[in-house]
Amino acid sequence: MDIFPWDLAVIPQKFFLFAKAANYTLQITFFGVLLGLVIGLIVALGRLSQNKVLFSLSRAYIFLIRGTPLLVQLFIVYYGLTSIVTIDPIPSAVLALAVHNGAYIAEIFRGSIQSIHYGQMEAARSIGMSQGKAMRRIILPQAFKRAVPSLGNQLIIALKDSSLASTIAVPELMLKGRQMGSSTFMYMEMFIIVGIWYLIMTSVLSFVMNRIEEKLKVSDRD
Amino acid sequence: MIDQTKSAIGKKTTSVAKATKEPKPKKRKRDMSDPDAPIVRIEGLCKWYGELEVLKNINLEIQRGEVVVIIGASGSGKSTLLRCVNFLEKTKKGKIYISGKRIKHNEKELNKTRQELGMVFQHFNLFPHMTVAGNVMEGLVQVKKMPKDKARKKAEVLLDRVGLSDKADVYPAMLSGGQKQRVAIARALAMEPKVMLFDEPTSALDPELVGEVLAVMTQLAKEGMTMLVVTHEMWFAKEVADRVIFMDEGVILEEASPEKMFSSPENERTMAFLKQILPPQE
Repeated sequence: MDIFPWDLAVIPQKFFLFAKAANYTLQITFFGVLLGLVIGLIVALGRLSQNKVLFSLSRAYIFLIRGTPLLVQLFIVYYGLTSIVTIDPIPSAVLALAVHNGAYIAEIFRGSIQSIHYGQMEAARSIGMSQGKAMRRIILPQAFKRAVPSLGNQLIIALKDSSLASTIAVPELMLKGRQMGSSTFMYMEMFIIVGIWYLIMTSVLSFVMNRIEEKLKVSDRD
Repeated sequence: MIDQTKSAIGKKTTSVAKATKEPKPKKRKRDMSDPDAPIVRIEGLCKWYGELEVLKNINLEIQRGEVVVIIGASGSGKSTLLRCVNFLEKTKKGKIYISGKRIKHNEKELNKTRQELGMVFQHFNLFPHMTVAGNVMEGLVQVKKMPKDKARKKAEVLLDRVGLSDKADVYPAMLSGGQKQRVAIARALAMEPKVMLFDEPTSALDPELVGEVLAVMTQLAKEGMTMLVVTHEMWFAKEVADRVIFMDEGVILEEASPEKMFSSPENERTMAFLKQILPPQE
């Protein structure tokens, strides 16, 4: 037995065979989080609503989704719903990621909306704005800005969580790694490649999020 | 779901203004309400915070062009009263009339009424994500539906009036407290209110910045603006007010001209309060 039993030279050789799979990972993450932002905003507003029905529905949603694993939610969408509707693997993964991240993003938005001083709402109302307009024009732009660091964090979590889509045959990075591993028996090398791909993508994302944060600082002092 | 009421409010008021030109020298908007009625009339207003009664049967009238200053110790209910006039506080008992029209706590009516009531806050509450001009234009563009270029011109005129025309494109974070408050005054004036409400406008300012805000307010009063001012600046009350109101524990204890209030107050509590805050030689 070799002291170092792995052939690291394989890593650069096979690295770009994973590009297509990485592209799938990026896409299900992107569309999942995009949809999750929409769900998150709606649920956050529901959670802050005076309307008891909206409030209860939002709370129940957050309770159920945050309290159960993404894998369970993924299987419910992909396998569980088959008796009503059959959804293909990729849309299933996007939907499950959206529903899952929506709950976390809702809490991020709720926190950042609540962190805006009530004087802002009062000032907006005092010039005759409706509650909704004040929310859209005055509160949400400030709240979004405060949410950016947390949203960046959530985006990175979502990207890594998308690896669970491999269990429902989405040809993303993790599945590609498993397939390449079983066909070559070089599991270590293949999963190192998978890891590097994830690392590159998360690095790029956090760089982009930092840039966005910087850009949003224009209205701050210096 | 967000933008229910949209523009209906702003459009209505402007069309009415066009239809009926008033012969008065000052440009003022006509409305359906009685022009001779006091601009603000408060009848039997009570306000509770839970068990605590902070306003007890307040009755108050403010006439067109009048400058009324409310003084009193903290916790006397003077700020709460001002906030009630702008309906930022809900009241269960009592009636508030604006230009003779009774205002009820109904969203649409409030949005319309608040345009007629300019509010200036202790902590300015400028919108930090908008430039100075953006702050002043916001109500014009979003509520009154004025085209942006027109609103911008109007904002520049107003900023010039408060001495900040050079700051139009700066964000509020770059301004001093006094400058911020002057922008806040311009923002409120942009809506062409019938009455300006000032809630301790200089209390959050460094002493050397108080003067510039009071100067703007004095100028406004001279131009005939109706004002209701809660302040601790006795100089302003003495020099500018037509009437001074002393509040204590949720009650209007005394109401008099500034001359009378500061030289020979009738109520013991008023005397005690004034003695505490006025310099001893007076």
